[in-house]
Amino acid sequence: MRAYTPKDDVQAKAYYTDRYYVAPQVPKSEVETDEVFAADLEAIKAKFEVKEAYIQVEQMVVYINAHDIYGVLEFMRDELAYTQLSEMSAIDWLAKDNTFEIFYQMLSMEKRKRIRVKYFIENGQAVDSVEKLFRSADWSEREMFDMFGIEANNHPFMKRILMPYDWQGYPLLKTYPLEGDEFAAWYEVDKIYGKEARDIIGPEIRDTATVDRYDSERFARLGFEVPKGTKITGNEEPHVDSYQEDGGIFLIKKYDKESSVVIDDPQR
Amino acid sequence: MAQIKNRLTPFFENITFDREDNELVLNFGPQHPSAHGQLRLMLHLQQEQIVKAHPDVGYLHRGMEKMAENMIYNEFMPTTDRMDYIASSSNNYGFALAVEKLIGLEVPRRAKVIRMMLLEINRLMSHLFWLATTALDIGAMTVFLFAFREREYLMDIIEGYCGARLTHAAIRIGGVPLDIQDDFLHQLRVFLNKLPQNIKDYEDLLDTNRIWLMRMEEVGTISTEMALSWGCTGPMLRASGVAWDIRKEEPYELYDEVEFNVPYSDKGDNFARYRIYMEEMRESAKILYQTIEMYEKCEKDGQTELMAHAPKYISAPKLDIMTQNYSLMQHFVLVTQGMRPPVGEVYVATESPKGELGFYINSQGGPYPYRLKLRAPSFWHTGILTDLLPGHYIPDVVSIIGTTNIVFGEVDR
Amino acid sequence: MAQHKVNYTQDGGLPVALTSIDKIVNWGRSNSLWALTYGLACCGIEMMASGASRFDFDRYGTIFRASPRQADLMIVAGTLTKKHAEFIKRLYDQMTEPRWVISMGSCANTGGMFNTYATVQGVDRIIPVDLYLPGCAPRPETLQYGVMLLQKKIRANKAGNAQKAKRLM
Ligand code: SF4
Repeated sequence: MRAYTPKDDVQAKAYYTDRYYVAPQVPKSEVETDEVFAADLEAIKAKFEVKEAYIQVEQMVVYINAHDIYGVLEFMRDELAYTQLSEMSAIDWLAKDNTFEIFYQMLSMEKRKRIRVKYFIENGQAVDSVEKLFRSADWSEREMFDMFGIEANNHPFMKRILMPYDWQGYPLLKTYPLEGDEFAAWYEVDKIYGKEARDIIGPEIRDTATVDRYDSERFARLGFEVPKGTKITGNEEPHVDSYQEDGGIFLIKKYDKESSVVIDDPQR
Repeated sequence: MAQIKNRLTPFFENITFDREDNELVLNFGPQHPSAHGQLRLMLHLQQEQIVKAHPDVGYLHRGMEKMAENMIYNEFMPTTDRMDYIASSSNNYGFALAVEKLIGLEVPRRAKVIRMMLLEINRLMSHLFWLATTALDIGAMTVFLFAFREREYLMDIIEGYCGARLTHAAIRIGGVPLDIQDDFLHQLRVFLNKLPQNIKDYEDLLDTNRIWLMRMEEVGTISTEMALSWGCTGPMLRASGVAWDIRKEEPYELYDEVEFNVPYSDKGDNFARYRIYMEEMRESAKILYQTIEMYEKCEKDGQTELMAHAPKYISAPKLDIMTQNYSLMQHFVLVTQGMRPPVGEVYVATESPKGELGFYINSQGGPYPYRLKLRAPSFWHTGILTDLLPGHYIPDVVSIIGTTNIVFGEVDR
Repeated sequence: MAQHKVNYTQDGGLPVALTSIDKIVNWGRSNSLWALTYGLACCGIEMMASGASRFDFDRYGTIFRASPRQADLMIVAGTLTKKHAEFIKRLYDQMTEPRWVISMGSCANTGGMFNTYATVQGVDRIIPVDLYLPGCAPRPETLQYGVMLLQKKIRANKAGNAQKAKRLM
């Protein structure tokens, strides 16, 4: 019987994990341990609902409600001097509980602090665009849409950015295999030559270890070169391929090893 | 066998005939010699003036984030080389630092010094490359040839260290794999002693050059608000009046021990950016001189450790692996299964030559990252073209793209 | 008129070399291989380096041209992605015959390390390739050697005949 492989998460998995292995945690500390973060959190808490907050690896993580995001970021930018949105993207938790986690990485240059604002959305739900606040979200949200299929409301140009416009599938979903699906495999052939050419061009060779040592048309012989198309039996003569013909070339000086100079020190 | 017919339809996006507003739509790229890679711009023109710009990226999207999810941490290191391939060690470093923060690792001092040397050499290489290509785009061929000559010297030094010219993979999680070679310091000194004169040569060629000034001054002005809103970092931000350098403000490695200045300008135009690149080269040279001293001090103090000691995450030194059974087993597990960092997430930003290079890693305790987001500075530096180009003329496009210093391995990842 | 005092009848005679048309055409072709600037990724940087001061491609008569109509040689230097694949075909079709293609680097050869959904697994799925250069990135010396091998290949061809239609794969 074939082993069952889950289809909802095709990410590479460890092939062996100790039965009693418990993964350790990156230490989290209370927000109160850092006074700047504590003050910021107080200010945010006064206006918005904060679900959870902690400090991990020198940065504060704040979980909020999905519908508050525009307000929170606006508040943070205008009142708390978090003037830059460094990064935003999503994490796919569809296999676990059918949600996406969205994170916004904020930077305050004045305070030299970074906060990560996060929230969860259901599969199929759209996020609120913060493009009006931070222009950088324009492209980030497009990238998120491209990679996960999460749309942003009120975004001026919600189209794919990295993949072609006519691409199908969302590559960073855990259900999407690394090597692409059927559509991805034939994309360029279908587009340029049409479906009829599939047979002629043949499938992609994805096995990185394919070497046919008897095929001297497409592979160099291991060890030393033989001319193209030689039938490989195992006792071929070595063949030195020089870039100049033996008889010399018309109008070109023949390369002569003796009379050439090797420069040792490039910084002469 | 006959050639197969292709079914690509003719491409008339260059000219649109039936527009009523008298606008010309010009397609620029994706394979344009001055686009620094595979940038495609759709420009709407009113005569020579751009009224709307629409950058299209993704022509070099190679799926690195997806690859990261399917690779053990050490395996991903060489892939980071291919992001900002002009200064690959800085990407290696950004990733290594993020993983080290995740597992809470302290790197030995000697490794830190070597890392700083590599980082600054990479910065110099990147800036020289920037100068060369931008000058070439604007028509200053001499500077191109000069700057490439100097870059080759640095490449030789790096090559002596790690064996590769372009894709270094010279930094490991937990330290560096090798000590620097014997003549590294000597070669570096020779180079650094020459560098001020070289920089002066470039400046003599460019600073008062009328063509250079006309294409640089008052062109492509980015205001502070715009730079902040678009997430600009690095020289782009510093040219727009914010003196923000992560090396200074959130020091990593030993940057808090070295003396250097952060050049900035409040002009925000192409020329300001050009000046900042030149000044940063000088500062890098300054840092490099100090790291040479630091290295010699390490040597004197007998600090020979190059990799952190953390048997759970990092293989033991080669000697131990070859002589001690347990180290060999550990190494075997780490190579075949990969290290398993603790559950948690981390975002670490470093100052790469282009700007803030950030790695967001979400680990679920497995040997593969659950999610890895690469925050590449060039992505937003390309995005800003949407707002920056309108109002400029066609020839300005080339100089603006030049000074934004975008690298497409990084934009598209 | 130049007032030089060269006596063409002395020292080896007139500056005349006798040869066949084939040879002279091939000599011309092989020594003025104008390459299309087709730097796609990291390998493109090495391609630039081989054009720049230290490696100096101009010695081989290889001058980078930005327009496919002026180019004989396409050096595909870097990763070809599926989004870009269409354009490489367009540009290849725009080059005038005879034309040659060098695929530079593992990415262009086979997709290289990028065994992902977005990468074309070898440019020879789209256009015919004459020469594959291994390496990631191949050194400029490799590219120079490759160009010299290509010159040899050109010299071995009959100049008069139209180029044989190359098959894909
Ligand atoms: S072969 Fe290597 S160096 Fe060349 S483009 Fe591919 S990844 Fe980059």
